[in-house]
Amino acid sequence: MRFNYIIRRIGFFLIIIWLAASVNFFLPRLSGQDPIREKLMREAMIGGATQTGMEQIIKTYEVKFGLNRPLYLQYFSYLGDVARGDFNYSIAHYPTRVIDMLRDALPWTVGLLSVSFLISFFVGTFLGALFGWPRTPRYIQWLFGPLLSLNAIPYFLLGLVMLYLFSFAVKWLPSGGGYERGTLPILNLKFLLDLAYHAILPALSILLAQIGGWALGMRAMMVTTQGEDYMIFADAKGLSERTLFLRYAMRNAILPQVTGMALVLGQLISGAVLVEVVFQYPGIGSLLWRAIRETDYFVVQGVVFFSIVTIGLATLLLDLLYPVLDPRISYEK
Amino acid sequence: MIIQRRKLPSRLPMLALLLLLAWVMAACGTPPAPQPAGDAQTAAPAAPAEAAASLKEVPRNRTFKMMRGGVSGQHVDYELWNPYAIGSNHQNGANIMYEPLAFYSAFADKETMWLAESYEYNADATELTIKTRQGIKWSDGQPFSAEDVAFTFESLKELGAKVRWGVDVQQFVDSATAVDEKTVLVKFKVPAPRFFNLVSYKFDIGVYIVPKHIFEGQDWTTFKAFDIAKGWPVTTGPFKVVASSAEQKIYDRRDSWWAADQGLVHMPEMERIVQLPDAQEQQQAQALITNEIDMGFTLDPATFTTIFEQNPKITTHAGRKAPFGYLDWWPVSMYVNTSAPPFDNPDVRWALSLFINRPQVVEVGWSGANTVSRLPMPPYPPLKRYFDASEDLLKQYNTSEFNPDKANALLKKAGFTKNGEGKWMNAKGEPLKLDVFVPAFLNSMGLVVVQQLKEQGIEVNPSDPPDFNDRFTKGDYQAAFYGHGGSVNDPYFTLNLYTSSSKAVPGDHQANFSRWSNAEYDKIVDEVYVTPMNDYPKLEKLFHDAMAIWLPALPDIPLTELYHRIGYNETYWTNWPTAENPYVNGASWHLTFEMVLWNLKAVEK
Repeated sequence: MRFNYIIRRIGFFLIIIWLAASVNFFLPRLSGQDPIREKLMREAMIGGATQTGMEQIIKTYEVKFGLNRPLYLQYFSYLGDVARGDFNYSIAHYPTRVIDMLRDALPWTVGLLSVSFLISFFVGTFLGALFGWPRTPRYIQWLFGPLLSLNAIPYFLLGLVMLYLFSFAVKWLPSGGGYERGTLPILNLKFLLDLAYHAILPALSILLAQIGGWALGMRAMMVTTQGEDYMIFADAKGLSERTLFLRYAMRNAILPQVTGMALVLGQLISGAVLVEVVFQYPGIGSLLWRAIRETDYFVVQGVVFFSIVTIGLATLLLDLLYPVLDPRISYEK
Repeated sequence: MIIQRRKLPSRLPMLALLLLLAWVMAACGTPPAPQPAGDAQTAAPAAPAEAAASLKEVPRNRTFKMMRGGVSGQHVDYELWNPYAIGSNHQNGANIMYEPLAFYSAFADKETMWLAESYEYNADATELTIKTRQGIKWSDGQPFSAEDVAFTFESLKELGAKVRWGVDVQQFVDSATAVDEKTVLVKFKVPAPRFFNLVSYKFDIGVYIVPKHIFEGQDWTTFKAFDIAKGWPVTTGPFKVVASSAEQKIYDRRDSWWAADQGLVHMPEMERIVQLPDAQEQQQAQALITNEIDMGFTLDPATFTTIFEQNPKITTHAGRKAPFGYLDWWPVSMYVNTSAPPFDNPDVRWALSLFINRPQVVEVGWSGANTVSRLPMPPYPPLKRYFDASEDLLKQYNTSEFNPDKANALLKKAGFTKNGEGKWMNAKGEPLKLDVFVPAFLNSMGLVVVQQLKEQGIEVNPSDPPDFNDRFTKGDYQAAFYGHGGSVNDPYFTLNLYTSSSKAVPGDHQANFSRWSNAEYDKIVDEVYVTPMNDYPKLEKLFHDAMAIWLPALPDIPLTELYHRIGYNETYWTNWPTAENPYVNGASWHLTFEMVLWNLKAVEK
């Protein structure tokens, strides 16, 4: 891999981050809403704030948050802040820092997404390989249709259907939350089981919707792989069915799936935001939803910027790792 | 390299397991992030898991469980126990921790002196002397004194708009000093006969007294006042915070409490309070049915039928019948922007009012569980005298009247004509349009009004724009459904909602949402302000004079009251405030909720 390529690729990464961060700055401000006014009026509506001096409070905090300055100055401050990893304070929950809110929410999302993503990747890829393998039993092949249909449904919609079926209709699974309301978060088996119990529905929403996609891609590649010379040669050598399937067909067919991992990451995060909202799961999706509802610019900026960097970094790393995974690929000219 | 690549797939599941473990660990509480230097005064809270692990077991029949606070099912201010920080809201827990100088119950029309023993104004109400109660201790054992009260007022005066209640105190207070350990002398910039009323706890109005030895030297805008290990927040209340996380706030009863020690009231019978975040209507109903909680937030009238069927122990302020609750202090009107034509014409506003069939709004929009509002303040016992005083005017200007013929005449007088399709048109041949904001929580009643106005030939366009608050407060609207945070015992606070300027009260005045102004009215309200709260004959006359201007002008159109419909669960706790026993309103989010807590009786002794 040429050094120049790495530099160029990192340069692209930084440009993408800057572009996305800029959109992230300007987009919420297009609404023209005043976040401090929104917060105070919302509280006045439920009685938690008095209307006396509201205008003075709004002016004071606009100065404090720099919202009274021209937009371009706010923009430069924002770029400086994110470069330092400082996402400022939450406007709606001042003096809570955005970074602390991210710290609390992130592990939930990382846990939910990584586990469901990896399971869906491995199960979907393996099932896809079986679907594309001619000697797979017919009853396994029949799974392909339903899984493909589930793949066409957005995560959150699948989540709503499952919520109705498993939480409201048969009442097998909880309707939301990270763990049982009122439970003390003590590290013991009971609590761990409760955690897993509450994660089943949101994780299944992502899992079921994703498996079909992975299976479809893998199946297509398996079909292509079977016509390759090395497959015919391996078969002629009398290698076992298992070796042919795992070492020759699957091994060669899996590479585009790895590329797909990076591409799906963005879709996964955006979809998971809504899944978390549907299930009131305490991750960054719920945090982002709350921040949008509360016009909390700084939290929206923090969450979205963090997501952009995560996706950008994952894509960059995968791009750089690709030649390592497949020696046939080289960025050398 | 080849070997490593072959091993990769088998390592991935291991990675997944590690991530899963990280997830579990995170759920059990993450250590607090280091605070920046500027936040050195912000205490680092104990991790939820640590705090939770050290909690004693408390049986359900000694635990009081309620739903209150949070956004989207999570507490967001669980580390914020400084009630003056702008991100804080006393409704989410500070109301049961920080105590006031006095409580006031509008239902019982009774003032209960608390941290203060007595108070007295000088003749022209430019000075207030407060005698504080002796023998009170903060939760960390330090004695409470007049110094704490003076410090609280002085700090608010200095901080002004940077903190909650700062503007309200800054407007009036010139100085607050502790003359001795039990006497506070407050000197005002102008006569302020309502200052003690302002700082007493009632509904959502009241000033929290904070400990000087904890808050002194802190930046009140960023100070969180939270550190369980240190016993923070430090308050004079009967409970201490023992765990606080996004999922729940837990308060345990302290071993001793000054008010019980002095025989003012009994120690609360609950040993623990668990405050869960608000859930959606159906989840909350389910939690009441299954006795998971003892009380929640306000519910729709229709939900109570289901709850009553499935749990005989659930009741409300009104018992098990409509209106399933009590009158809140927030009567709902249709505000009309009086600064722009055609609604700058009182005849047009009165025509709108006369087109509205309010009993139908109550019946359809509120399922019968509400009452018609005649004036923009609730008919609480101490305010009834003002309704009576203006009865002649209310007969002449009947704000509840449904009279389309009269309305038609008024619109014709204002230059409108009805076309062949029954639509009202102005002189230019344009339809009479009314763009009205209907916030989601007032949808059920708002849309009934919208339909009634449409049927009378007005082109009404309802909407709930995302920037409702912004536009409503800036006057960028035509009409909107909204309530009034005004009077509960004294008419001044509601009258003040419609002033455009004041000579009696320096600084900002309350938001005048309907953009109506009348110099003569402002003068009367200023006079109301300097009149002592107990000079009823004069106040009744002034109120009548103000209504003689307000009613013909009708700056907003009164519609219905608002009711708090809270389910009270009597499985574990009785002696809830009810219509028969109205010692106070029952909202867990209001500042008087501590009164409910010390009144509740455990069912299982």
